[in-house]
Amino acid sequence: MSWLRLHGHALGEALRRMSAQPVASAFSVLVLAIAIALPVLAAVVLQSAGAIASSLETDPHVNVYLALDASDEDAKRVGDALRASPDASSVQFVPRAKALEELKASTHLADVIDSLQGNPLPDAYIVRVHSEDPGRVAAAREAWAKLPKVDQVAADFEWARRLGNWIRFGRRLLTAIALALGVSVAFIAGHLIRLQALAHREEIEVSQLIGATASDVRRPFLYHGLLQGALAGAVAVGLGVLAAAWLGAELRALTPEYASELKIVSLDLTWNLAVVGLAAALGLAGAWWAVARELRQFSPGR
Amino acid sequence: MIQFSAAAKRYPGGQEALRGVSCEIAAGEMVAVTGHSGAGKSTLLKLAAGIERASGGTVVVQGQNLGALGETALAVLRRRIGFVFQDHKLLFDRNAYDNVALPLRVGGFGRDEIGRRVRAALDKVGLLAREKAMPVALSGGEQQRLCIARAIVNRPAILIADEPTGHLDAEYARAILDLFQSFHRVGVTVMLSTHDESVLERLGCRRIALAAGTLAP
Repeated sequence: MSWLRLHGHALGEALRRMSAQPVASAFSVLVLAIAIALPVLAAVVLQSAGAIASSLETDPHVNVYLALDASDEDAKRVGDALRASPDASSVQFVPRAKALEELKASTHLADVIDSLQGNPLPDAYIVRVHSEDPGRVAAAREAWAKLPKVDQVAADFEWARRLGNWIRFGRRLLTAIALALGVSVAFIAGHLIRLQALAHREEIEVSQLIGATASDVRRPFLYHGLLQGALAGAVAVGLGVLAAAWLGAELRALTPEYASELKIVSLDLTWNLAVVGLAAALGLAGAWWAVARELRQFSPGR
Repeated sequence: MIQFSAAAKRYPGGQEALRGVSCEIAAGEMVAVTGHSGAGKSTLLKLAAGIERASGGTVVVQGQNLGALGETALAVLRRRIGFVFQDHKLLFDRNAYDNVALPLRVGGFGRDEIGRRVRAALDKVGLLAREKAMPVALSGGEQQRLCIARAIVNRPAILIADEPTGHLDAEYARAILDLFQSFHRVGVTVMLSTHDESVLERLGCRRIALAAGTLAP
């Protein structure tokens, strides 16, 4: 009961201190919120880019085009050789007639194609490969190009894979930025609490003289830091949602054809709660650091 | 109640305030610590109250060796000892009531209990009507009494006062001394320091005389 009361006192004291200086408190929260909002926004951008990338064909595959004079027998032999290759995970045959039909259907070239004397397209195989490793893919391409009646081997997935690499790089960069900003948030929060501790220097000293323990002195400051951090986290999440909506509107206006693919993906509830929780924890850590410094100076025992 | 055995205190910087003081204060006793300024009176009181730690010898209060206590245990012990500071140590950002309530809030008391005890303490020192007054609005004598109210609000068994009549004129000083004698009469162990001969005559209690950090012969 007394324990609960001590925490009640501390929470009340923290709220009293915050409401005693509403403008200063609001600015403190805003400063922290902006620092937290930067990695939140970066995460929104990366998540959106990730969503676009995953809609692209990044499956590692290689197209094997046969020579125009290849017979059905030749095609079958190439197919068997590809299926036997340890690098191929699946092999799909696209006959030249079907390729021509698809070309006619998907483009406006039907008249041009009809005017041609024969089918200019070769038979082709779409081969999915086990490994994305560029060396392995290149080696496989070289080997398959040497098969009889094979004209060309192309790996179109590589640019999509490169985009994927950039996104992974972006994630890592984001993690680094988030870590750096997280540390700075803890220090900013600590510094703001330290100003509070300095303003209450006399109270801390007198309280310790009349029997307050270090945790008694620390408690209201910890609640203050926790509340300040949690509020800042909530404001940062709000800023992230606003910014995402604002940018998303522009993006849709820019790319009407791809509207279904290019859109801003906001963070989900779990992530938002995690941001608020983490911000609260950073506020708490900063407050602990700030008060520990004051306590050492005031300790009457030594 | 309070035992000093070869208690010594050397402050950081080398100043030796006490050099091997041994003496004892019995439960319910009232003693005056006397000596010139710089004789070590304040240091002796602070050692007894757990506000300073001895750098040599032992200080035992209510059966507890203060040197063996950790920071937290020492802080909790300080709650059981009322201390009247020479410079009052009042908080000027809050009124008389809240100043006296501070030790009770630290102790985790409920609001009703705090109200009862604070008013009882203010009543005891004659400041009940001024509970809303800010410390700046109080006279020197009233500030001293407010400090006493804060020291007794936890109903301590030991009351220690550092030069409680130092800055007061004779009439105020007499009222303050009467107050301490009234606590002594109800069984509180009282330890106060003074360099004023008239105070000692009035109190007529045992003296612990210090000179240059040791017991005077």
